Amino acid sequence: MVTNELTKPRRIELILRQIDSLPTLPAIATRLLALTSDENAEVREVISLISSDPALTAKVLALCKTADRGLRQEVMNVDKAVVLLGFNAIRNAVLSVKVYELFRPDPDDVPGDVTRRDNMLRPSIEPVDREEAERFDRAAFWTHSLAVACLAELIARGSSAHQDLNPDEAFVCGLLHDVGKLALDHVLPKSFARVVELADLNQGNIAEFERRIVGIDHHTAGKRLAEQWQLPHALQDCIWLHGSPYDTLPNIEHRRLVGLVALADVIVRRQHLGYSGNFTFKEEEITLAGKLGIDPDVVADAIEGLHDTLESRGKALGINDTPSKELFLDAIQRANIALGRLNHALDLRGRTAAIQSRILEGITTFHAQAGPGRSVQDMLDSVVESASTVFGPGFFAMLYPEPGHAHGHATWLVSQYTDEGAPLHSQYAEAPPHTPDLSQFDASQPMGVNLMGILPWVADYLVNAEDVRDVRLLPLSCGWGTVAVLLHDRQQLPNWSMLQSLVHTWGAAIGAAAQHDGARRLGEELAESNSALAEAQDRLLRQESMARLGEMAAGAAHEMNNPLAVISGRSQLLSMTLTPGSKEQQAAQTIFKEAHRLSDLITCLHMFADPPRANRRPVNLLSLLDATIKAARGAQRNRDQVVPIYLQVKEDLPSLEVDPEQLQQAVSELVHNAIQASPKDSVSVQARVVSAEHLLLIQVVDDGDGMDQHTLDHAMDPFFSDKPAGRRVGMGLPRAQQLALAHGGRLDLRSTPGEGTVATLTIPLEPAA
Amino acid sequence: MSSNGQQTPDLHAKQVFTTGEAAEICKVSQQTIIRCFDSGRLNGFRVPGSRFRRIPREELIQFMRDNGIPIEQITSSKKRILVVDDDPQIVELMVDLLSRDDRYEVKTAMTGYDAGMMTEQFKPDLIILDYMLPDINGNIVCQTIRANGELSETRIIIVSGVVNQDEIHDLLKAGADEFVKKPFNIEQLQSRITSLLEA
Repeated sequence: MVTNELTKPRRIELILRQIDSLPTLPAIATRLLALTSDENAEVREVISLISSDPALTAKVLALCKTADRGLRQEVMNVDKAVVLLGFNAIRNAVLSVKVYELFRPDPDDVPGDVTRRDNMLRPSIEPVDREEAERFDRAAFWTHSLAVACLAELIARGSSAHQDLNPDEAFVCGLLHDVGKLALDHVLPKSFARVVELADLNQGNIAEFERRIVGIDHHTAGKRLAEQWQLPHALQDCIWLHGSPYDTLPNIEHRRLVGLVALADVIVRRQHLGYSGNFTFKEEEITLAGKLGIDPDVVADAIEGLHDTLESRGKALGINDTPSKELFLDAIQRANIALGRLNHALDLRGRTAAIQSRILEGITTFHAQAGPGRSVQDMLDSVVESASTVFGPGFFAMLYPEPGHAHGHATWLVSQYTDEGAPLHSQYAEAPPHTPDLSQFDASQPMGVNLMGILPWVADYLVNAEDVRDVRLLPLSCGWGTVAVLLHDRQQLPNWSMLQSLVHTWGAAIGAAAQHDGARRLGEELAESNSALAEAQDRLLRQESMARLGEMAAGAAHEMNNPLAVISGRSQLLSMTLTPGSKEQQAAQTIFKEAHRLSDLITCLHMFADPPRANRRPVNLLSLLDATIKAARGAQRNRDQVVPIYLQVKEDLPSLEVDPEQLQQAVSELVHNAIQASPKDSVSVQARVVSAEHLLLIQVVDDGDGMDQHTLDHAMDPFFSDKPAGRRVGMGLPRAQQLALAHGGRLDLRSTPGEGTVATLTIPLEPAA
Repeated sequence: MSSNGQQTPDLHAKQVFTTGEAAEICKVSQQTIIRCFDSGRLNGFRVPGSRFRRIPREELIQFMRDNGIPIEQITSSKKRILVVDDDPQIVELMVDLLSRDDRYEVKTAMTGYDAGMMTEQFKPDLIILDYMLPDINGNIVCQTIRANGELSETRIIIVSGVVNQDEIHDLLKAGADEFVKKPFNIEQLQSRITSLLEA
């Protein structure tokens, strides 16, 4: 359209201006209208005006004659007509005639002056293209207008009780109620033709399409024109408001007149008389009549008389020469056409609805089957089952690229199904390199994408696929792209706009299942790593607290060993000066010993910060253990109760590489610990080599007090002791453990309260090289 | 010999000797010393701007060794021990301990810097060195001493309250002869000192 460049408000402004510049009413009509408000109407002038136009005179007389059948006297001249019929009837007749002439369907018939002006003022908004195929049918329009006019008049006449419904007024209001359409067609013939076309096609309300295409509807355009022509207010309002629902009308003086025109309009359209462009019915005529307080019988009578009145009035106006019979046939014909269009539209909708309902059914059943929390394979099976229901039986297979392999060697799950959509078999396939990205294929292509053209290798994984040439791809996508591809052998799928929702449902379901699978796997991994983490944290916490203790001990070692060195040295020097064997000298020696014990404790703590390393060298284990036990026995010498200590070793222990000092210390700590447990019988030290695993096992077994779980848990904590406070604190086991760790080994404790304890040193021998 | 008795301590401390002093120490005539000096068998230098001969301590000791002259006269029978520790109580303890033995001459230092100065001047036979000094770590002291050729005979005992195996290893590599942990048994320490000095 040429006017496309114009913005909408500007365009509307232009249209309104064009309407304003439409030909004014001929002088006679204007004069007549001016006289209406003037009581002292200069009737004579009017009569002479009408008389001066023979054609007008004839028409007005004809109009007046048919207007009132009750009039016995034949109206022969305008004088008489004015007297008999009253001024208003004459005015309306003239108005009708003149307005009709202004928008005459055939310009050739129009009196010269009007035509010229009309042509001169032919709007320049749109070029007139007379070749335009479909144009606003003005003849049919006038038939409609006239029918509304006649019906409104008939009803008004029938409802004589209603003073506000003047038949003459009703007639002219009905005749001109749609004058806005004429104005729009006059100003924008091309656009209006399109409006008409669309309204016909959609069987919709013409006003809606006017607003959409032209920018304003005929109500507004008509109101503007009516104002321009200074038509009476009742007429203006009828033109403006006849399309509005009656209830929404403002409480104006001639509200019921507007309603009457609306009622007549609805009835005439129901009767398919003429053409209005409006195919919708907002209000039932009975309802509307009820609101207007009009007797339905009056309406029925009016409809009965409508065709005859229409014929005679039309003739009188020169609007329509069609005899009532033909008019009736024409109406029937129009009704038939409308019916046919309606049927066609219904049929189309019906067919679309059938496919839509099939797809909707597919989605519904699919949703019922494909519940949440199902595996990807289950979901793929459900999709194929759904597809076979919607598409009908045939070849079906599913390709599912395993997520996480965007590039490179991707693994695809290839599932095949029976013709009825039951799972046949499923296998994983390695997608060859350079497999194209599925998401780039347009699923909406009517023919679909052929499998062989894009993924020929998939055919190798399809069993009994006799002819894969017809197999096509239907990518199933969800939010982040194609999640799977449905293979099928359909030549034609339902229209994409309808299929789309189903395909997206499938894709989304598979995507959700994939997510769910991933989330589940992730959850399992998370749980595993969680427990591993908890363990590690436990260990770390322990190690950390040990290390901290060690760091503290290292600091303490530095700060404390200097004073201890002074204490120890001074006590030694002191003891040298004292009488040997004297109490004082013993005290000095005690000071010396205790200083060193304190220092040992600090050193022991320091082991946790700086674990000792084993200095391995060949050792005769038997003699080492022997010496250890002898020392332990010796240490017991001063005790009241001596615990027997036995060594149980196979004689053929090989020579082993360990750190002899460390091992000896470790064993001696364990033996000491065993003796502390007050064994009932004895303590035994057992040693053996597990050659297969290159392990040295040294067990120190006692049948003493044993330890409860709490003690076992803390047995290796430095300074932990289950003994009452004040006794020697437990650095033995932690130290033994540190020494085992120095060899890459460990210390395990097994104990039952009241039965005794087994401490096992596990020392790896040669690192398996 | 009374003069000798007076002079000897001075001579012991001297770093450079006149020919007369050298003759006295070597128990030979001054002429012999001069002859040996001039023939180059005894190295030394002349005071700039004069003809006075001067003999550095090391050269004299070397000369005496070369010619089988007992060197006790110059080195004295006392072993020089330098105690380095930032803890005055430890220093005092060490001094107390070592001065009981009149074979030892003891000097002390409390920082790494002092220790370096004292080492240069005192030329100790043994350094008892605290590892953690306020200004410098024991291994650096060890390395410095070992880098000095004059001190090749100096023995080093490191004493530390912290026993870190890696550090001990590094110290021994850096030239320490012994490592002793604080607190120590003074009897054991004494035996180690004795064995190191007699070696």
